[in-house]
Amino acid sequence: MNLDWSVVWQHRDALLAGTATTIVLTVATMAIAVPCGMVVAILRLYAWKPVAALATAYVEFFRNLPLILVVYWAFYVLPILTGVGLSPLATGLSALALNVTAYNAETFRAGINSIRRGQLDAAMALGMGRAQALRRVVLPQAMRRILPVLASTWVSLFKDTSLVSVIAVTELAYVAMQIRAQTFRVLEMLTAMAIIYWLLGYPQAKLVDWIQRRFAVTE
Amino acid sequence: MDFDFTVITSHARFLGSGIVTTLALSLASGLTSLAAGLVVALARLYGPRWLRPVVVLYIDSMRAIPVLVVLVWTFFALPIVTGLTMPPFAAALLGLTMHLAAYAAEIVRAGIESVRPGQMRAAVALGMSRGQAVRRILMPQALVRMLPAFGSFLSITIKDTAIASVIAVTELMRQSETLAGQSFQPIEVFSFAMLVYFVILFPVTRGVDFVYRRVAYLGRS
Repeated sequence: MNLDWSVVWQHRDALLAGTATTIVLTVATMAIAVPCGMVVAILRLYAWKPVAALATAYVEFFRNLPLILVVYWAFYVLPILTGVGLSPLATGLSALALNVTAYNAETFRAGINSIRRGQLDAAMALGMGRAQALRRVVLPQAMRRILPVLASTWVSLFKDTSLVSVIAVTELAYVAMQIRAQTFRVLEMLTAMAIIYWLLGYPQAKLVDWIQRRFAVTE
Repeated sequence: MDFDFTVITSHARFLGSGIVTTLALSLASGLTSLAAGLVVALARLYGPRWLRPVVVLYIDSMRAIPVLVVLVWTFFALPIVTGLTMPPFAAALLGLTMHLAAYAAEIVRAGIESVRPGQMRAAVALGMSRGQAVRRILMPQALVRMLPAFGSFLSITIKDTAIASVIAVTELMRQSETLAGQSFQPIEVFSFAMLVYFVILFPVTRGVDFVYRRVAYLGRS
């Protein structure tokens, strides 16, 4: 076995660009999926029955599908259904956002449900509107339980961005596998890819542990 | 827009073999990673002191690296290291087990740690060895408490097998992708695949929750 690790250094610019795309995808997906997840959760909890049922169906459907299938589906089916051709990046982002929104909606719903009903009743008895009571009384308390879950969803999402490589989004996994195919330096490139993910993901996983300890709710 | 779902019925055996492979890979990797996870968790909790940091590093690393990366590395890079080529199914089983065992280990650890320490002390005070106490007193209570987590673990396992399509395991995702490409009918094929995954996954999570509600009282102490 002769190994040539210089191939990793030679392609540092491409790998760096791929890493940047991975991070952008993670941040952009979360930026979409947090507000959307909140809306879906509120629809599920307080909207008119048929709308609530629709929101529930959406959440249950996407939580029970492999993300990679959603990615393929978005790539092949979305352009036909909508008639709009999106770039691979936008397609990947849509698939990730559809998936994470469903998870976040469930997180928000569970967080809001964990606050006793009396809190909402009391706030409304004091003359607040329902929206106001939610915003001022229920959500601030629910946030303590929601934040740690959002943090671990973040780490899962960071890893899941690698799945959009199957539709040629030039993020880290795709870039590394492209270089592997061009240079035939299989072991070096795949190991480098794993190490880069590890370097980025390990501190995030540790940060999540810290957030979970910091916000632990003892009953 | 016209839909023609005969593409599904005319390729029923092709897609059916994919479903069988998906189920076989899910079952196999679920079982091996549960067994491996149990060993890892016991090593973390009761193993020799020098072993614990190694185990923690392994678990946290698997939380940091995408399963796609683990699978691709196991299939393409590992044979270069070992000199042994593996068929895709075996590589997928190995890669998924490496990845999922870390999750299983965390579930087992959380379950065991949720049992109050007094239970262990009481068992030891009654003359049991630590191994006996873990086996006879802690585990039975912990297992019941782990049930809901195992439900989501099983669902994660089934979803992760779809990623094995990347290393050419001919499971449902791979078969659907091939058929979608050949028939130029991606809408019908992928919609069918979505339906199948949903029909497999939805009852798994619901079923485990149902069983848990029935046996939850056994886990109280």
